[in-house]
Amino acid sequence: MRRVVITGAGALSPIADSPAALHTALCAQTSALKEVELFPLDTAGNVADLGPRHAGEIRPFEPKDYLGERNLRPVDRTARLLLVAAQQALESSGWTAEKRAEREVGLVLGTTFCSVRTIAEFDRRALQLGPSYASPMDFANSVINAAAGQAAIWHDLRGVNSTVAAGEASGLLALAYAADLIRGGRADAVLAGGAEELCFESFVGHQRAGRLGSVCTVPFDARRDGFALAEGAAMLFLEEAESAAARGAHVLAEICGYAESFAGDGEEASTADFADAVARAVRLAVADAGIVPADLGVLSLSANGGVRSDRAEALGIAAAGLADVPATAIKAMLGEALGASGAFQAVDLLGLFADGVLPGVLGFQAGDDGFPLSGIAAQTRTLDHQPRFGLLHSVAWDGQCCAVILEAK
Amino acid sequence: MSPSGVRVAVTGLGLVTPVGIGRDEVWQGLLDGRSGFAPIESFDSSRFPVHLGAEVRGFHPELWLRILDPSQLGRASQLAAAAARMALDDSGIAGIAGIAGIDAARAGVVMGTTSGEPREVERFDDRYLAGGLDGLGPEFIGLYPCHMIAVHVAREVGFAGPVTMIPTACAAGNYAIAHAFDLLRAGRADVMLAGGADAFSRITYAGFSRLGAIAPERCQPFDRNRRGMIPGEGAGVLVLEPLPRALARGARVYAEVAGYGLSCDAHHMTAAHPEGDGAARAMQRALADAGIGPEDVSYISAHGTGTPTNDRLEILAVQRVFGAAAAKTPMSSIKSMIGHTMGAASAIEAAVCSLAVSTGRIPPTMNLEEPDGDLDYVPNHAREHDVRVAMNNAYAFGGNNASVIFQRAGA
Repeated sequence: MRRVVITGAGALSPIADSPAALHTALCAQTSALKEVELFPLDTAGNVADLGPRHAGEIRPFEPKDYLGERNLRPVDRTARLLLVAAQQALESSGWTAEKRAEREVGLVLGTTFCSVRTIAEFDRRALQLGPSYASPMDFANSVINAAAGQAAIWHDLRGVNSTVAAGEASGLLALAYAADLIRGGRADAVLAGGAEELCFESFVGHQRAGRLGSVCTVPFDARRDGFALAEGAAMLFLEEAESAAARGAHVLAEICGYAESFAGDGEEASTADFADAVARAVRLAVADAGIVPADLGVLSLSANGGVRSDRAEALGIAAAGLADVPATAIKAMLGEALGASGAFQAVDLLGLFADGVLPGVLGFQAGDDGFPLSGIAAQTRTLDHQPRFGLLHSVAWDGQCCAVILEAK
Repeated sequence: MSPSGVRVAVTGLGLVTPVGIGRDEVWQGLLDGRSGFAPIESFDSSRFPVHLGAEVRGFHPELWLRILDPSQLGRASQLAAAAARMALDDSGIAGIAGIAGIDAARAGVVMGTTSGEPREVERFDDRYLAGGLDGLGPEFIGLYPCHMIAVHVAREVGFAGPVTMIPTACAAGNYAIAHAFDLLRAGRADVMLAGGADAFSRITYAGFSRLGAIAPERCQPFDRNRRGMIPGEGAGVLVLEPLPRALARGARVYAEVAGYGLSCDAHHMTAAHPEGDGAARAMQRALADAGIGPEDVSYISAHGTGTPTNDRLEILAVQRVFGAAAAKTPMSSIKSMIGHTMGAASAIEAAVCSLAVSTGRIPPTMNLEEPDGDLDYVPNHAREHDVRVAMNNAYAFGGNNASVIFQRAGA
């Protein structure tokens, strides 16, 4: 079977603007959360009770610092974040523009909204001024694959170009999808990861739906009452192993297994059913990788402060036999970057493979009664044993679970 | 493709379209050349320069949904979940009270869309403009994100395996079918529902109107005087399962998915590559994946939107890939009847390919008076034709191209 390795990485987050700096900032437990400035929350003369106002915003973000003077006007915020992360991943992979002209590179992007801001602003302009004043350029960016399309144009990516949406699980699903394309012989090189922008519509929507925490957003902590939103992009350069070896590429890790599952009954799903879906994804990924649970030396988990999903994840991970494995939940520092989250977890795990340092869960005091994961700790620590295999896990609010296993190289 | 490389069968079809609801009504409508176009009813089009749309009329989701309450779903989810129910019923997999004979954990859903649930953004905007932040309720995040379409389908049918949304715009149905095909081939599932759905929306209409892409009176793909596309809505869902499994349970097999090809123009967000470069690569890749040559293709279901540029590039790309075989291969566009149903389009057209293969009939390209170029567009009348292999083409914003090939089972 064709094997899939990671030979490049890129990350743009509220706390760091490169993969190495991201892992360092997470280990230093730098918090991304601060009062939102990107959009006004006191518009329309309205001072309704807004609840939480903190989020992980990338500030300042000057795309030209990364992307140069090329015209960015037709490219919206989500796509700009993606362009930066993709550029870093391409550069670190050594797969140059000349090589891309010769051999196609694909792209699989995970995102929840791409840009709901672009869509809503397009609509509001049409409503307020009339449809003949709506912007054709905004319309081009209103499709949910717009960021992937813009990145293809910007970086000359002419291979498979796909976008996957599965809420908080989007980023890992994109890695799994891209890895299957390479395993199946449909591509030799694919950029994969996730991107999500912070915007008014998403923030207010999540806030109105009661998903944002106002008291505590610490993953797994018994006090938690919701998550904090964040933004960013992270991309990995995935490559067929023999092709990477043939060109002498530096291999960061191998993607050796992955699986998806779904907790069927949505908001009404019992915690037990949800946990069962988590355990199923993990077990299937372990089997896909051809290893046993005891081979996993570290876990990067999805928990974000969501009351139900954190509990389900903890129980599911324990049910899969991984309760005692050293684990982290980096959303304690980063917040919930939706489509980008799983890709941030992957980038951080590459850093851990290099230095053996596991970021602590900032602010974690105690889990729910009977919290089973003894591997979760508040403090950053250096692992006793350098792990060979690490698990990435994402669980989405709406029930999709995805597990991906990386092997250190 | 490893590990299992199993052959994949199409065993169920569910369709909700502007010319009918359900497999038989839609297929008969398409063979009869029925038009799904009418003045828009779902929003006030008075400020637009054009007024025709292809809306689904007379759709009552409660007739199809058994688990979910339609009033709690966005319209695209309603269309998708209804089509999924029809497809599952058609396949014979679904029992009256649940799912017989399949492990829900090995049953999944992949759906495509262009806009997800755009009406939820519209509602958000209406309320925000009318009442500021106070006007906004909790429903937006529960209904709007496009992945809710796949999630709602999975909840309706009780599937618990891979559940993925692929929002690759107007080629999304083909992308979804291709991904489901790969999941089955890789042994990651035993049955997949795959397709696409989109709801009629003022946002989509305003966008295409501003691009000058909407035809004022009728949709005429491949006609020299074509003036554009007409936006539509709908859903198409296919049941896909390993061929050996389908044969073992005595299922009716419409067709076999023989292969697919994807590519990206990397050229322009809304305009196709001038030489149809990406479109040609997707077709070539699909042929190679299916292990056949262009002369083996007996029918092409065209993207055929009716815009001057799309159809021109598509003709060029087909001529480039098919060479001498191009003029001999029937190629039609059902968008001349149902309009452009966005992310649903290539899923509905995939069902059409499956039906063409299984019934030996090809739906026409309607409104064709002066053909552009010398290809065989199956003008204005359905045709009896021995369709052993059908190619389904779809192209999208973002430069995404997807071709999927269906063949007679066992061919």
